[in-house]
Amino acid sequence: MARPPGQFRQGWHRLCRNRSGLLGLSLVAFVVLVALIGPEFAPYTPNDQSAMLSFTAKGAPTWAHLFGTDRNGYDVLTRVIYGAPTALAVGLGAMLVASVIGILVGGIAGYLGGTADELLMRFTEFFLVIPVFIMILAVVRLFSIVVVGTPLERLPFLNLATIIVLLGLFGWPPIARLARAEFLRLKNMDFVEAARCIGAQPRDILFRHILPNALPSLVVVIALGIGGAILSESMISFLGFGDPKAISWGQLLYFNYEVLRVSPWAVLAPGGAIFITVLGFNLLADGLSDAFNPRLKQ
Amino acid sequence: MTDVPPLLNVRNLKVHFFTQAGVAPAVDGIDFRVNPRETLGLVGESGSGKTMASLAVLRLVPPPARIVSGSIEFQNRDLLTLDEAALRDLRGKHVAMIFQNPAYSLNPIFTIGDQLTEILRWHEPVSRTAARDRAADLLRLVGIADPLQRLRQFPHELSGGMKQRICIARALLCNPALILADEPTTNLDVTIQAQILDLLAELRDRLRMAMLLVSHDMGVVARMAHRITVVYAGRTCETGDARTIFHTPQHPYTRALLESTPRIDHDYEHATRPTLRTIGGRIPNLATPPTGCRFHPRCAEATEECAQLRPVPFEVAPGHSVSCLKRGSPGVAA
Repeated sequence: MARPPGQFRQGWHRLCRNRSGLLGLSLVAFVVLVALIGPEFAPYTPNDQSAMLSFTAKGAPTWAHLFGTDRNGYDVLTRVIYGAPTALAVGLGAMLVASVIGILVGGIAGYLGGTADELLMRFTEFFLVIPVFIMILAVVRLFSIVVVGTPLERLPFLNLATIIVLLGLFGWPPIARLARAEFLRLKNMDFVEAARCIGAQPRDILFRHILPNALPSLVVVIALGIGGAILSESMISFLGFGDPKAISWGQLLYFNYEVLRVSPWAVLAPGGAIFITVLGFNLLADGLSDAFNPRLKQ
Repeated sequence: MTDVPPLLNVRNLKVHFFTQAGVAPAVDGIDFRVNPRETLGLVGESGSGKTMASLAVLRLVPPPARIVSGSIEFQNRDLLTLDEAALRDLRGKHVAMIFQNPAYSLNPIFTIGDQLTEILRWHEPVSRTAARDRAADLLRLVGIADPLQRLRQFPHELSGGMKQRICIARALLCNPALILADEPTTNLDVTIQAQILDLLAELRDRLRMAMLLVSHDMGVVARMAHRITVVYAGRTCETGDARTIFHTPQHPYTRALLESTPRIDHDYEHATRPTLRTIGGRIPNLATPPTGCRFHPRCAEATEECAQLRPVPFEVAPGHSVSCLKRGSPGVAA
């Protein structure tokens, strides 16, 4: 496309006038910025445990360690900064997987209708009733055992990738349901009929005419899902099922919750980071929803 | 007129809705014919099956409706036997459609230029700039000033009349032999209606196209059509040239329809009948259509046999056929 479509530009303008949406956007932008350039400015390297040697582990915030140090002697600020790219990778990666599956399943169900719709939606509901969290914990643990002794073992961040894919595999049903509803609504619109009348192929109808019109609604659930995926990954890491090599906020909580009363900063900082990020994505989703579907609000 | 081979010949077309409540014969034996460079007005009330009949020409009747039988011949090809690829080639290139509601028939997220060039690039191997030039030419043809500016705009930036002009331009892009216009002016202001009708008439004559004009509005049809086919509840009532239909209508339904159309040359205040005549009753529920002639429950002339026998088209004069037992149509049991 040569230039941004009008509907999106209008939505953008409406988002800029929406206070909470703008706050969400700023928070998300801040997290993205930290993830991109933060590591350059981090005061220490993420695996520096020298505080252990000088007996300053669990140390309160000082000018040398702005957020203090944790029980392993890590600089909390550095670890929190390095947690940002992990969190974003999880959120975006999981939602990418979920969006592809969700839009495909929901889109096909909505467009074809009839038996295909019925089957695909029952399949979606089946995924909705699975206790996702327990499932992910079980699969992550099983997979990390299975993988031992195979070449896969040497892949970097294999565990994290597994979590991302699993969050995606279990996170698509809400997207599929919305995609179905949108495709169902749009496939009977006159302009889709008009496209058919001028000899458009089903591929063009689906991807050129229906999907872009469904995107404004889908973007909202996807943004909401990013926050949810980040929160889920934190919980998984907090329970000790995360990737030991990936620095994640949940993992920081896991390492330090036992010393909560001794060094609260080591827990509050990653907790605050999770809070800011998830709040940012939720507010952004809310703002996007108001920006793209302004009539829903009344 | 009759010795010219027709461009489009629809015979005994049946489109049925297969719903859970049963089969509803929305179109149950419609015949019409469009000759080259001629405009046929397809007239009927809402729900008479006229839109379904026009969609059937493009083989685009939406599910749960299906074309059950009949034949649709276009340029001596039977459209009902074509495969999907051949149909895609036909749609837009040889037969184009203009919709009722211009506000909804343009994709809101693409510019006018994108939507117009899209069709050309599907049907003909043209470059982007050539397609753009042709689109601009067409916009000029449909009476749009500053076409290059319009090509960059989105549908919501344009007025209803402007959008309908663009829809007409889109229909004309590939020089189709036949235009299907489904109530092209129903959703427009009366003043814009007149402009659009004038434009359509002018373009039709200039580009030598045939047109199937679907409308419930006798005024619109009177202005545009050379010949008229009147349909009621999924069946053809009467076919003839426009003059005959308006001056000597034969079928009771056509007569009733004309009498219930307000006329500017009629003095209602001092007439013996100061109010406009209406047709009593309502259009039948097509899930349970009346037996025999479908119009008989509302027909003033109906007799016993009208409820029993289905009238078959009968030529009362050359080029003027009527389906009514009272006008000499033979009846078949059904």
